[in-house]
Amino acid sequence: MGQQIESALRESMQRVVVLLVNFLPGLVAFLLAVVVLMLVGAVLAFLLRKILTALRFDERLASRQTPGAVTNVSEWSPANSPTLLVSRVVWWACLLVGIAIGISAFNVSVSDTPTVALLFLPYLTHLVGAALLLIVGTLLARFLARSVLIGAVNAQLQYARFLSLGVKWLMFVLTAAMAIDHLGIGGNVVVLAFGILFGGIVLTLALAIGLGSRDLVSRSIEKSMDRPATNSPQDITFVPTETPPVPPLRHF
Amino acid sequence: MSTTPVLQTPANMDASPSPCDLLTLVCLPSLTSEALDATLANLRVAMATQPLLVVTPDAVPPSAEGGSLRILSHRPSAPTHGAWIPTAADYLNAWAVAREHRPGVVLLLGPDCATVSPATLRLLAAGAASKHDLVLPRYPVGPHDALFNSAILYPLTRALFSHHVRFPLPIDAALSPRMCERLATAAQRLTAAGQGEALLWPVANAAVAGYSVFDVAGEKRLLPAPNADDVNALIANVAGSLFADVEAKAAFWQRARLAMSPSRVTDYATEATAHDPNALDLAPMIQSFRNAYTNLRELWSLVLPPNSLLALKKLSLAPAETFRMPDALWARTVYDFLLAYRLRTINRGHLLGALTPLYLGWVASHIRLVGGDAKVAEQHIEEVAAAFEGDKPYLVARWRWPDRFNP
Repeated sequence: MGQQIESALRESMQRVVVLLVNFLPGLVAFLLAVVVLMLVGAVLAFLLRKILTALRFDERLASRQTPGAVTNVSEWSPANSPTLLVSRVVWWACLLVGIAIGISAFNVSVSDTPTVALLFLPYLTHLVGAALLLIVGTLLARFLARSVLIGAVNAQLQYARFLSLGVKWLMFVLTAAMAIDHLGIGGNVVVLAFGILFGGIVLTLALAIGLGSRDLVSRSIEKSMDRPATNSPQDITFVPTETPPVPPLRHF
Repeated sequence: MSTTPVLQTPANMDASPSPCDLLTLVCLPSLTSEALDATLANLRVAMATQPLLVVTPDAVPPSAEGGSLRILSHRPSAPTHGAWIPTAADYLNAWAVAREHRPGVVLLLGPDCATVSPATLRLLAAGAASKHDLVLPRYPVGPHDALFNSAILYPLTRALFSHHVRFPLPIDAALSPRMCERLATAAQRLTAAGQGEALLWPVANAAVAGYSVFDVAGEKRLLPAPNADDVNALIANVAGSLFADVEAKAAFWQRARLAMSPSRVTDYATEATAHDPNALDLAPMIQSFRNAYTNLRELWSLVLPPNSLLALKKLSLAPAETFRMPDALWARTVYDFLLAYRLRTINRGHLLGALTPLYLGWVASHIRLVGGDAKVAEQHIEEVAAAFEGDKPYLVARWRWPDRFNP
């Protein structure tokens, strides 16, 4: 009995060791690919930074763009330097390529362990994609919300903040739905929930704007309904109006 | 009722026209044939004995030339876009002709120049011929006109570049050849980048170069209106251009003691508004400012210190009858926005958009204070400019040490 237990334990231990031995080269290959590509990326980024600095890339780009414009590359760059942006993009691209190569190397080396390959690896790549989607979506939501807020305030809309919040949440919901869909979680439930939420927000905004401008619409309809009755030539009675001219303001 | 403009002659300049042998180059924008005829007639009256070379992008009628006046139809090397004031492309084109003909004075006239009087033309040309590098006209404006200039352009230029030039973004200008060349060099950088429509700031350029600047009181002229329908975009464009220019010239204006050019003119030529000032309803403007405070408070808090925010809160709660933005608060607000522009605290497009409601608040306060009185308006504008000058050390200190504690 004891011998059987001992033998069973030894066999399972042996299986664990074999599994670990199969797994380790893949892990080493993954780490090696990431480290090598990181180093390559760092060298490339360094060289690129030196070359662009020598070419006065930032100054040339700045002279081609309108100050304060939303489309300015420097507005989006770290430390307002497009050179730094380019070099960092190159470094991160190399890192991502390294991760992709590492994952494929890992996949090959542990292909005889289908459970890990099927469940873990696809998620790793999808997780990176979903994280990127979330980051970009959040940045875009904040930017658009501010743009809408300022534009609405300058257009003297009373519900500027509400409009801005609506746009922000629309973007958040859209981004979250895209990220979850990218991860393959939930399937149709996510699409359905997104449709309901998105439609709900749009309907709320439409109702808010419609109710806010109710008086304006009713006045406009009243005017258009009154017009045919007073348009016949015999009914026209000219009433001179003496509204004083409003003094104009000239900003420039 | 309008105040008769007083044509003032610079103290160190002859009242008589410039020397006869000095060629004056006059650069005109595209005009209708009637407007061209009127402009040429005014030029003949203004400078009858002087050799004149008039450059126009339009076709020249054969009968237009005569006497000392020559006309040249010139295809501009940099495409112009018919802007409401001369832009980088116009300065560059003026220099392209000036380099070829070597004039003593370059007279750059803006749109609707047919309404510039001969007396103003004579003063401009005489000023530039009297060794002044940049001579700008100061046209009479009503208390409700040129408000953005009164709120930001004039006070900021005066405080930072120490020149009492009432309209630093000129419609017309007289330039010495070296001033024209300097402006063309600045314009070249912009036009090469496809920004021929960009604005140039001649006063700041002249100040940095150490050139002499002079402004003369001109007679009433039709002030061209900007093409843009969107005032918010226009305000952001002009303010952005000025802020960028100030940022580029920071090394100059940060000098501890710039010699302030003396204010030669104490009585600005102004004209009263033709309309009843009480007819202007300020309530929507004030309500708009309150709405902006409610919605943009969080955004402003990224740019303005707590003191300014508190003052703005008080202002937003003030009744319409006592709505008054203190000059010191306005000066500090503009400086803080300028600092945020430099530090890129928030996106620059957003920053300039967030400045617009504050400016409209200042406009409401200004109009409430001055009503329709042109003299009171000028006095208030001078007080605002003085507030900007008084607060300049704050700007310099925070420009150098932006992270210093700022209550």
